[in-house]
Amino acid sequence: MNFLMRAAFVLGGIFLGINLINYFVLGHTGDYLPGGQRMGEWKEAKIREACYPALESPERDELLPKLTSNQHRVDWRELNRAKEMTAALNCYLVTHPNAVCERNNRAYIVDYISRYFAKFDEMIEVAKRYGDSEMSTVKNLWDSPRNRAINAALIQDTSNGRLIKADFGWTVPAAMKPLLDRYKGTTDNCPRA
Amino acid sequence: MIRQVLTLIVAFVGGFLAVGGWIWAPQISRMMPSFSSATSSAGSGGAWFADANRLGRPEVAPVVRSCIFRVVDVGPDAAKMEPSAGYFILKAGSMQASVAALVGKPGLRSDNQTVFLAIKWGELASCIYAQDDRELCDSDSRAAMVEATTKFFAFAKQAEALKPPIPADEARVIENLGDKLLGALKNHRRYGTLVAADFSSFAAPEIMRIMREEKETRDICKR
Repeated sequence: MNFLMRAAFVLGGIFLGINLINYFVLGHTGDYLPGGQRMGEWKEAKIREACYPALESPERDELLPKLTSNQHRVDWRELNRAKEMTAALNCYLVTHPNAVCERNNRAYIVDYISRYFAKFDEMIEVAKRYGDSEMSTVKNLWDSPRNRAINAALIQDTSNGRLIKADFGWTVPAAMKPLLDRYKGTTDNCPRA
Repeated sequence: MIRQVLTLIVAFVGGFLAVGGWIWAPQISRMMPSFSSATSSAGSGGAWFADANRLGRPEVAPVVRSCIFRVVDVGPDAAKMEPSAGYFILKAGSMQASVAALVGKPGLRSDNQTVFLAIKWGELASCIYAQDDRELCDSDSRAAMVEATTKFFAFAKQAEALKPPIPADEARVIENLGDKLLGALKNHRRYGTLVAADFSSFAAPEIMRIMREEKETRDICKR
């Protein structure tokens, strides 16, 4: 019995460690999204590859986030990430509005929406240290025409049930909560095959 | 339940440290002689346990914005490039040189590169010190100043130890930069913009001597 307890303890530790590494180090947050009929396998999402061209040269897209002031504390890597994430999500939601109806794509897109808002929150958190001016620089950065198009698409997708609260599991982005609550119980209008 | 989960986490981390320590400890101890010079030239150069309010993010410092493209020549792209990217280029070059030195496989141009990096970090530090003294009350600017100064002295020391010795004119440039920086360090120690705790214990002895011997006469950051 004692031996079994120890073995269970070690195996539990390994299981927990593997999952912590998968989530926090490898960043495979999509693995922890709820399953079921609506959600497929994020790794199988076809939309991911379909949108590679949108990420090839984001610097050419004038509608992507850009800094409005020279006096800022935004690191270039953060700036590039904001551009990349906006370009990608714009492609997933705006360029291909029906992509979210496919199970695998939905799992990938839901995960990406969480990452998108997490990056925004992270940059705002850093900007807070520098005061209102920096906060407004970061907010302006994330308010490009592409970001506004993404917001409009998210309102659309929640209002017509293509995205629901249960899709996000326990990681509902704070910015999405009021939207998802408002349209709770809506059945999706995805085209049926 | 929470206690059991915590116990599991502690068990896993403890097991990893015990097993990992047993396997990797000999390698870590073998790396120690070169560790001190590597950390001061590859890391930020700031103290590991410095007050987080004193040392910020050097790459986004306003002083770096003013100085970096005077030191790092990226050609006509400078206008389009973010200063933090210019700072990253300089830092990436330093890391590459430090790793090469650490593993004992210096590249063909490594001697030149050590001198080049010493001069570049020295020029950046000089440019930072030439700004208004109060600029360095900003935690990001202070971090940039600490990093540039620490890296200059680390690379200068490496350049000094090179065999065959570096050309006399290059040695003189490095020496002049060093004298200039030591003078500026003294001033900033007196102004209260720098304290010993801002530098890591691996910082060059010249820096630590000034931090120890000079006394703060006023605090220019107090309004």
